[in-house]
Amino acid sequence: MNAFDGMITGFQVALSWEGILFVLIGVIVGTLIGMMPGLGPISAIAIMIPITYGMDPAPALVMMAGVYYGAVFGGSTSSILLNAPGISGTVATAFDGYPMAQQGKAGKALAIAAIASFFGGTVSVIMLMLLAPALSSVAISFGPPAYFALMLMGLTAISSLSEGSTIKAMISAVAGVMVVTIGIDPQTGTQRFTFGNVNLFDGFDFLIIALGLFAIAEVCMLVLNRKNRSLSDDQKLGSLKVTRADLKEMSGPMTRQSFVGFILGVLPGAGATIASFISYIFEKRISKNPEEFGKGSIKGLAAPESSNNAATSGAFVPLLSLGIPGSGTTAVMLGAFLVLGVQPGPLLMTDRPEIFWGIIASMYLGNIFLLVLNLPLIPYLAKILSIPRPLLISLVIMFSLIGVYSISFNVFDLYMLLVFGALGFAMRVFSFPAPPFILAFILGGMMEQAFRQSMTISNGNLAIFVNSPLPLSLILIAFLSLVIPGLLKWRGRRRLAKM
Amino acid sequence: MKKTMLTTILAASALVFAGCNSEESTNGETGESGAFEPSQNIEMVAPAGAGGGWDTTAREVARVFGETGILEENMTVVNKEGGGGAIAWAYIHGQDDSPYNLFVSSPPLMFVPLNGQSEFGHEDFTPLANMIADYGAFAVSADSEWDDLNSLFDQMKEDPESVTVVGTSAPGSMDHMQFVRIAKAAGVDPTKIKYVSDQDGGALTSVLNGSVDVFSTGVGEVVEQVRAGNIKILGITAEERLEGEVLSDFPTAIEQGIDESFINWRGFFGPPNMDPAAVEFYEAKFQELSESEEFAEVRKKYGWNEMYMNSEEYEEFLNAEYEEIEILLEEIGLGN
Repeated sequence: MNAFDGMITGFQVALSWEGILFVLIGVIVGTLIGMMPGLGPISAIAIMIPITYGMDPAPALVMMAGVYYGAVFGGSTSSILLNAPGISGTVATAFDGYPMAQQGKAGKALAIAAIASFFGGTVSVIMLMLLAPALSSVAISFGPPAYFALMLMGLTAISSLSEGSTIKAMISAVAGVMVVTIGIDPQTGTQRFTFGNVNLFDGFDFLIIALGLFAIAEVCMLVLNRKNRSLSDDQKLGSLKVTRADLKEMSGPMTRQSFVGFILGVLPGAGATIASFISYIFEKRISKNPEEFGKGSIKGLAAPESSNNAATSGAFVPLLSLGIPGSGTTAVMLGAFLVLGVQPGPLLMTDRPEIFWGIIASMYLGNIFLLVLNLPLIPYLAKILSIPRPLLISLVIMFSLIGVYSISFNVFDLYMLLVFGALGFAMRVFSFPAPPFILAFILGGMMEQAFRQSMTISNGNLAIFVNSPLPLSLILIAFLSLVIPGLLKWRGRRRLAKM
Repeated sequence: MKKTMLTTILAASALVFAGCNSEESTNGETGESGAFEPSQNIEMVAPAGAGGGWDTTAREVARVFGETGILEENMTVVNKEGGGGAIAWAYIHGQDDSPYNLFVSSPPLMFVPLNGQSEFGHEDFTPLANMIADYGAFAVSADSEWDDLNSLFDQMKEDPESVTVVGTSAPGSMDHMQFVRIAKAAGVDPTKIKYVSDQDGGALTSVLNGSVDVFSTGVGEVVEQVRAGNIKILGITAEERLEGEVLSDFPTAIEQGIDESFINWRGFFGPPNMDPAAVEFYEAKFQELSESEEFAEVRKKYGWNEMYMNSEEYEEFLNAEYEEIEILLEEIGLGN
């Protein structure tokens, strides 16, 4: 069956009344859960699994897929409005989304996020449809050395995430790498920096760090800067209108980052979080005005938003075509498949074409629903900002606590949230940037594991990173991305000097 | 003001406690005849997040218990994730003699404490019943030069550095130790086995693209890939061939002349000092569940094998397993 016949089968499933109904239920539930800080796609899917018991597999899985990308879609809301990322994939969204909201452009920021999400989601579904069978070979071409090189490439971006002092950015990144080593080391089973405390055995969940460094630290700043409460009500929402110029500005990042996001989503282990960071950095690197990033840039908002949604569809490639869950979320998704008696894998496309193509076809529909449902909601969502400040602050704290508690229902995590909140606040006060910390935390752990896996495989021979073309080329890109901006600057200065 | 609030809270909690006590004494959990009958909701802890093996087993068991009416009281599944199970175990250990807090477990209940990552192990809990058995499988890429376990192990004896094994669990835990156990029985030096752990979902990928050589995992994880012709199974750790399409093609280690097996058992436990009457009650209920048609269907759906053991049999089995694993871990230098 080729992709065309497949899509006809798929749309027959997706456009049946059952298909439409369950896509709709899925995306609504997904967005609502995703909007709450701390609750992301994993919780959303886990909550919905029992509901699918006894359902027909095709509509049930169409619904579960809707819950998944709906949650990613909705996750941007709290990042933009409250600087409290709901899921790890939307941390980068806050970098420019929150400043926009503070400048009184909350409505616009939400609209841009929705459009970019829709665009990323749709482009990646098209790619999923056309390339799923072929891409499964890309997904399996990455071994530990290539992952190490990919993470290294991501880490070189720290220099572009820093505002002001590069040394402070580096210190922040080193701290991030240090924190990620806490817990049981996967390669030896040794405890590192746990002080024998069971609660530290698994290390810190990403969400604790993200909500601590961003949401709690932000709350502290809000309390401290009492003077900035001068936004009037209509200023807070601002115009919803996304002008033609805005669209033009975001079209470049959206198109590029939809592809980047999709490819990174395909790689097991990379996923929406890493995709959104790399996309953000990518756009900042190639931008003519990189100084606008972090201060409410439209490009800086559109890039991670199209990328994280594209990565979500990308993650379906290894799941559907190989049966390999590339992330915690897709692992739970795999569980949802198994509950319904469907085994994803290389044979799914031939054994159960109505499910394979039905899910893909339903994603077109789901993305349209998401856009249509979300745009009219924006004015109401943005009202959150007109809540009196003391109340808003309490709400952010409450949602952060709920979000962290729902990770594993462990009170210890709440104390850690406060610890990282205090750290984040101190970092703000002494102007150490938080993004390098978070990036190093995300990439550092995987990089270390990939490095040590490679070393075990090669019996300690470093040549494993340059012996095959894939890791070699990634390392070269990493090297060039460090060197080229410096060279350009140097040339520019010389030219200026000549004039 | 503060003081009054504190007093109120104290008073309220005293009331709650008093309520609990009176309920326990009036409902008489252990009746005159000595039989136990639950009088409240039963909590079933899955010591992991949603979606995994423990969680699935706990949820299916709770569901079938309710649907068949074998258990009249409601059984609620609670996820307590963290420390590879250690957090949930510490929680259950604190329940002392409660007959209403059960948990599901499998070999990690031995591996995790033996690796020094949990204060509590199987001997600290009351085994109720074992329900199912699963087995390990050793997979290699379809174009691998090895066709059976012996050709793989021969190469490992000659040049142990040339073979890398990957699994999803930590060193010293299940995927690692099931391989070590079979390899050692075949004469491979267990201290020279190269094992890497990939907990980010890349283990199968690494075998398919040739980064590593052997994937040590559960039988259920490999069926689809074998059907698709991507990998082949050199051997499984069951004692006899399994039943079912594809599954029955997998050769056991024993039939290849390696006299060793490994069972990934899965069963249920209660707090340390559970009343013998309660143990008897649950034992009988789990047996009834295991023999029910509805649970047979669940086993079929997930490819699990029936392996019921009552509390006493279970305890003996666990002690024997524990001893063997302890020796093996010490031998490879991971023992505590």
